[in-house]
Amino acid sequence: MPGTPFEARALRDVSLSVADGEFVGIIGHTGSGKSTLISYFNGLERAKSGVVFVNDVDLGDKDTDLIAVRRTVGLVFQYPEYQLFEETVAKDIAFGPTNLGLDAAEVERRVVHAMNQVGLDASRAKKSPFDLSGGQKRRVAIAGVLAMEPQILVLDEPAAGLDPAGRQEMLELIEDIHRSGVTIVMVSHSMDDVGRYCDKLFVLSHGEIAYQGTPAEVFAHGDALHAIGLDVPECAKLAARLRKEGFDIPEGLYRMEDVARAIIDNIGKGGKA
Amino acid sequence: MIKNVTIGQYFPGESFVHRLDPRTKLLATIALIAVVFVSRGFSGFILIAAFVLLTALSTGVHLKFLFKGLKPIFFIIIFTFILNLFFQNTGEVLVQVWILKITTGGLRMASFMAVRLILLVISSQLLTLTTSPISLTDGLESLMRPMSKIGFPAHEIAMMMSIALRFIPTLMDEADKIMKAQKARGANFETGNILQRAKAMIPLLVPLFVGAFRRAEELALAMDARCYRGGAGRTRMNQLKYTRRDLIAALVVLALFAAVILLNRVCPF
Repeated sequence: MPGTPFEARALRDVSLSVADGEFVGIIGHTGSGKSTLISYFNGLERAKSGVVFVNDVDLGDKDTDLIAVRRTVGLVFQYPEYQLFEETVAKDIAFGPTNLGLDAAEVERRVVHAMNQVGLDASRAKKSPFDLSGGQKRRVAIAGVLAMEPQILVLDEPAAGLDPAGRQEMLELIEDIHRSGVTIVMVSHSMDDVGRYCDKLFVLSHGEIAYQGTPAEVFAHGDALHAIGLDVPECAKLAARLRKEGFDIPEGLYRMEDVARAIIDNIGKGGKA
Repeated sequence: MIKNVTIGQYFPGESFVHRLDPRTKLLATIALIAVVFVSRGFSGFILIAAFVLLTALSTGVHLKFLFKGLKPIFFIIIFTFILNLFFQNTGEVLVQVWILKITTGGLRMASFMAVRLILLVISSQLLTLTTSPISLTDGLESLMRPMSKIGFPAHEIAMMMSIALRFIPTLMDEADKIMKAQKARGANFETGNILQRAKAMIPLLVPLFVGAFRRAEELALAMDARCYRGGAGRTRMNQLKYTRRDLIAALVVLALFAAVILLNRVCPF
């Protein structure tokens, strides 16, 4: 609300680029501007200053066809299950493709394909989305965006509020989508999740990019991350601790498998003691 | 679209008026409205307008916010003005076109009514701009409490009001989020004829209602869990207390009242 005492600046000097086919993570503490940032990615918000380009199309340009942009960039908000509204799962998933002006046969094909992609059984197509469990609802919501067949998929905290098994499934689902050739931008505050799946990380703090790089590069700032309310993955912490104790653990390990292997290599060698 | 809707229009500040007890402000506003009706001429209006403007200036609230409240009733003001202008046929005839004539009496009456409406709106605007919704409901509850003796549900009404007020920003936020999510799926809220637009609201309204009911249920549970059982015996952390400021404010408003009555007698134009 500009001009009132409630005015606040959510982002400043943020500059980042995502290449085709990457799996990028955006992390930051609560209120660091992550969610605000991604709403610029498909022109939902227009920057007061600065520019956003998607495939060389300037989103700040008044003449830009925003429907075309939204076809390219799929945005899945936090708790997307709250956006469901149709009578049946299939109709809800069809909302996006129908808005794109596709014909009925193509919409139908995309609905089936998207349901398949998110692992929803075809028997659910005629059910009310409100009768599904939380995790299933979220799959429907993600299918609704996937049915627009975006080149780039942006997800805001896709695993928030799911139980550990649901979390794992959701992240693997996203990894599958990534493997099928979609560029992924995932917002999260779980270091374990982004460390596991992302090629590149951007750390936001108070609306600015504090750190960026590969997970190994970012997690090297362990204490500094702690200072801005974040952390490093549990495995990286364990590795650092063991290294301190004199075990031969190489630096830059943050995946569970890598740390486990390094520990196995140390068995029988003993620490500094 | 959502941004154009201002309901909670509180403008935070630390001025004398801001710090008055909400009950004082409520009663003063009622008195101010009464005095607008008491005034029989423009001399009174000038005094009231000067008082309202000076008070507004002292609060640090932008005057443009004061006049923003006039926008929705702009049409009503114009309508009243025109009606009075043409259908009040006392005094000398100034202009006559066909059967319509504008007379001095009509012109006076028309301006009188328009100014009265404007004053009514901006004086009540002053209350909502300087009082947070929460302290407003606190004040209302406290003022209505004597009526609970005759079975008037003062606490329940105040509770409903504060819950409603509390959830307005939440629901606006949610509406904004859902709107963005549906826009991201290619929904179009901005163009099309009235029927298409109404239909475009379904993807917004269904999730909004579902969410509102979910929240209501959660809130009821949370209140139950904290043993809510109505206002009986409830004590408050922030007690409302009249201070010397409130006495000064009351005296100022009384003085205004007296001055307007006096003006009605000595200078009734």
